[in-house]
Amino acid sequence: MTTQLTSAPPTAAPGKARRRPEDSHTARGTRPGFLWALPATLFFALFALAPLVMVAVLSFMSWNGLGSPQFVGTDNWERILDDPVMINSIWLTLLLTALGVVIQTPLSIVLGVWAAGHQRNRAVLSAVYFVPLLLSATAVSVLWRALLDPNFGIPARMTWLFGDGNLFGEQATAIGVLAFVSTWQFTPFHTLIYQGAARAIPPVLYQAAAIDGAGRYRQFFHITLPQLRNSVITSMILMIVGGLTTFETVLILTQGGPGTDTTISAYYMYQKAFKGFDFGAGSAIALCLVVAATVVSLIVVRVSGYDKMRSDMEGVS
Amino acid sequence: MRTRMPRVLACGATLALAASLAACGNGSGGGSSDDGRIHVLVYGDASNKVEKQMVDTFNKTSKVKAVLDTIPGADYQQKLQTIINTPQAPDIFFNWGGGSIQPFVKAGLLMPLDDFVKKDPNLDDKFLPSVYNSAVVEGKPYGIPMRGTQPVLLFSNKEVLDKAGVKQPATWDQLLAAVKQLKSEGVTPIALGGGDQWPTLMWFEYVYDRVAGPELFQKALSGDKDAWASADSKKALGMLKELVDTGAFGKNYDSVKYTNGASPALVAQGKAGFELMGSWYYAQQQQDAKDFAAKGLGYSTFPTIPGGKGDPSDVVGNTNNFYSVLKKTKHPEAVAEFLKLMYSDEFVKAQMAIGNLPTTTNTPKFLDTSASPEYSRFQYDLVAKAKSFQLSWDQAFPPSAMTPIHQTVQQFFNGQLDTDGFIKAMQALPTE
Amino acid sequence: MRHRPNYLAGAGSIVWLVLVGLPLYVMLAATLRTRQDYAKHGPVSFPRDFTLDNYTAAFDSGFGRYFLNTIVVTLCVVGVVLLLVPPLAYAIVRSRSRVTSQVFRLFLLGLAIPAQAVIVPMFYLISEAGLYDNLLGVILPTAAFCLPMSALILSGAMRDISPELFEAMTMDGASPRRMFFQLVVPLSRGGLSTIVVFSALQAWNGFLFPLVLTQSDSTKVITLGLYNFQTEHGVDIPGLLGAVTLSMVPVLLVYLFARRALVQGLMGMGGK
Repeated sequence: MTTQLTSAPPTAAPGKARRRPEDSHTARGTRPGFLWALPATLFFALFALAPLVMVAVLSFMSWNGLGSPQFVGTDNWERILDDPVMINSIWLTLLLTALGVVIQTPLSIVLGVWAAGHQRNRAVLSAVYFVPLLLSATAVSVLWRALLDPNFGIPARMTWLFGDGNLFGEQATAIGVLAFVSTWQFTPFHTLIYQGAARAIPPVLYQAAAIDGAGRYRQFFHITLPQLRNSVITSMILMIVGGLTTFETVLILTQGGPGTDTTISAYYMYQKAFKGFDFGAGSAIALCLVVAATVVSLIVVRVSGYDKMRSDMEGVS
Repeated sequence: MRTRMPRVLACGATLALAASLAACGNGSGGGSSDDGRIHVLVYGDASNKVEKQMVDTFNKTSKVKAVLDTIPGADYQQKLQTIINTPQAPDIFFNWGGGSIQPFVKAGLLMPLDDFVKKDPNLDDKFLPSVYNSAVVEGKPYGIPMRGTQPVLLFSNKEVLDKAGVKQPATWDQLLAAVKQLKSEGVTPIALGGGDQWPTLMWFEYVYDRVAGPELFQKALSGDKDAWASADSKKALGMLKELVDTGAFGKNYDSVKYTNGASPALVAQGKAGFELMGSWYYAQQQQDAKDFAAKGLGYSTFPTIPGGKGDPSDVVGNTNNFYSVLKKTKHPEAVAEFLKLMYSDEFVKAQMAIGNLPTTTNTPKFLDTSASPEYSRFQYDLVAKAKSFQLSWDQAFPPSAMTPIHQTVQQFFNGQLDTDGFIKAMQALPTE
Repeated sequence: MRHRPNYLAGAGSIVWLVLVGLPLYVMLAATLRTRQDYAKHGPVSFPRDFTLDNYTAAFDSGFGRYFLNTIVVTLCVVGVVLLLVPPLAYAIVRSRSRVTSQVFRLFLLGLAIPAQAVIVPMFYLISEAGLYDNLLGVILPTAAFCLPMSALILSGAMRDISPELFEAMTMDGASPRRMFFQLVVPLSRGGLSTIVVFSALQAWNGFLFPLVLTQSDSTKVITLGLYNFQTEHGVDIPGLLGAVTLSMVPVLLVYLFARRALVQGLMGMGGK
């Protein structure tokens, strides 16, 4: 095979399509085979799936991390499915995830499309917008806890809005704060995805639309949004999965409180396993989360046809 | 039925890994306890200076060398629990005594120190008994005090109190009166970092001790669920409820934290009158508000409750931190030698220098070298004379009870749980 | 033609700037003031007592060594991700084999594995492999946990490559390997820089794996070092934030660099 190192798509490279053993068996065109995916899959299986299998086994055992684990059948599962805090945590998790998707999706699309412009001020601003992503969860929570302190932070200066500032003492406001801080922290990442995707939209499309007299907003809804479809799905899956599994924000901002009012499932798992050292129950909750997140992302993928959506929208196959 | 599935699985899965990576290791690092040294594992923070110094002193004379490993604070217990039953386990480790080591004792991992004590009685006699006792599990000592004691005290802003014509309260009724007076002056009577949850717990610990004596909690801890439903328990809860309902803590205490400096700032700036906190509060105020700490900071023990069963000399808080020893250590003699340093003059001096107050019997000799001798002496006398020094509830219970305790006290304060709800929740706590 | 000022977008971006900027201001301001100043005047005020002590304190606590370790971990993680993910994403997008679509599902599953959940088995895995307290033992799991998200992002980017280009190359008789190097990689530079940024951040800010899988000072990474600013019962907020700011600087530089690469990559595309 010739190694021709040009970055532009080649215009002419004579010769027959050679079939290699790992290549696809389809008649049309040469496609990569499974071998291409093999190294990553093996690596992943060893360092992520193997531990997960052990977690699945642990969910049927009683273990505090010290002695030998004891097999207890479905005991852990019965316990967590019977636990009001667990049931409540599922609703909270779904609520926070939904809030995250609803708030962050439009926001990051708008910011991403805006940042895709090539103006210098936008480059500077989007560098600033990006910074929250660089901060560790600890730093983010320390900052917001300080800013939202009822006596020394913003609420003290805006009592008309915040009242006595007891944001972390009521369930509704505590959830609001969690949704807001996650938005603050993760929007930059999704913005980055949309920014990249928006830049990849062929300018020709806009030029054509402009000739047709389409205004900025019509262009946005008729060209930009449809072209971002793949990215919307990618980013939504990430938001859903992220929402289901985030716990650091809760850990440092509310510790699941007041009481258990913001104890979401992932945090509950952490509490069970690492505060209570009940690794059996913790593993069962963890497994629920993995399954839930996988099912949801598969549904999104299936409904959107994302997995079928190879580069063949025009029907190469 | 006993199985060892996870480890079997782990071995299987790692075989391939080990084979593929055998050649790639970039230096084996430390960590395993059979490298001919003793590993001392401590909670990573500013106090490590002294621990390092002790290790150096030890290494000057000992054939078996010691090495200090630190685990960054927040997740100390988690990491410890993960490694303690593996080859990576340390020989000696930092802990909080009480419930924090109980599971390890139950699992047969720790060495009872009575043999060490037999050979060197100083390993018991040189420490204040009320402190030493909190690392005694099932009648045997398992820990040697290795930092400073931290009793909980009632701190105040003297200026705010003077202005309102209020004195540092000696009795519960005086406290209630002071609360009313301060409230009418427009300051928050008592600052509370309810967002951290554990500061709220301190109020329960003292009121229960004053009302019912230390026995009630000891009973509860030993598994007697009725203790929580007793008349004394209900009386204590009634008093706490009354305190919260009179607005002693203001309205937004659950949004205030101690750990980001917000609640101490309320006191330092005269926005609140009192705060109940561990003795480290003094150092915190020195760092954050030097002038206030020097001139305006008042402190006393918790008010007495007339008619209560608890002795007025009782204190609650963190008795001390402890070094415990793993049974499988290969160098027990060296470990014993290392532990003896914990009552040495050098140790006491070094701890005093960084603001800790050791709990050895030779400590009084050095109280004058402390940065604030008066405060150190007050604390030392308090602890030395205490009939009972109750370890914080969340440390006395096994680790699995910590989160439920924190949640329950928070819910009682904000009204989500009533007296019966609180009793039920406490009865549900695991005691082993 | 698109150069009319867009007031709505301008106003929105300023609101967002305030929301993003205020906490960042609080952070920077806090790092430049003494603890007393911070405690007295609160987080939102302007610093009165300027000091650089918070930064020097961070350096004095051994940050140099931690920096070096973190850089090694980050570079290796990014390297592993860049080696493994592009072929994987290529296969996911282009392969017609059943197995690969199952692989895609497997990675979707992997997306949802919380690192917290597997930390105990991971500890056994790593220590059985003799990699405990070794940077390699941190690198491998960290990289593994970057794979699902990176695969999703990169395959998303690769799906956007116009099918005509593949068709053209197929007609030329290009092998999958040539298509990969000459078409797919150059045209998914945007996605590639996103996954570089993503995995670098994961490695740089990773806390849990280093916490459980390392022990001695010689293998400590920055995030663990940060925690030594937190004492058992109080936090030195200016000190902590000073250390956070310091630890952020290299990543910010990398981001700015990666951003330029991203922009250039896309400009190259526009020129075709």
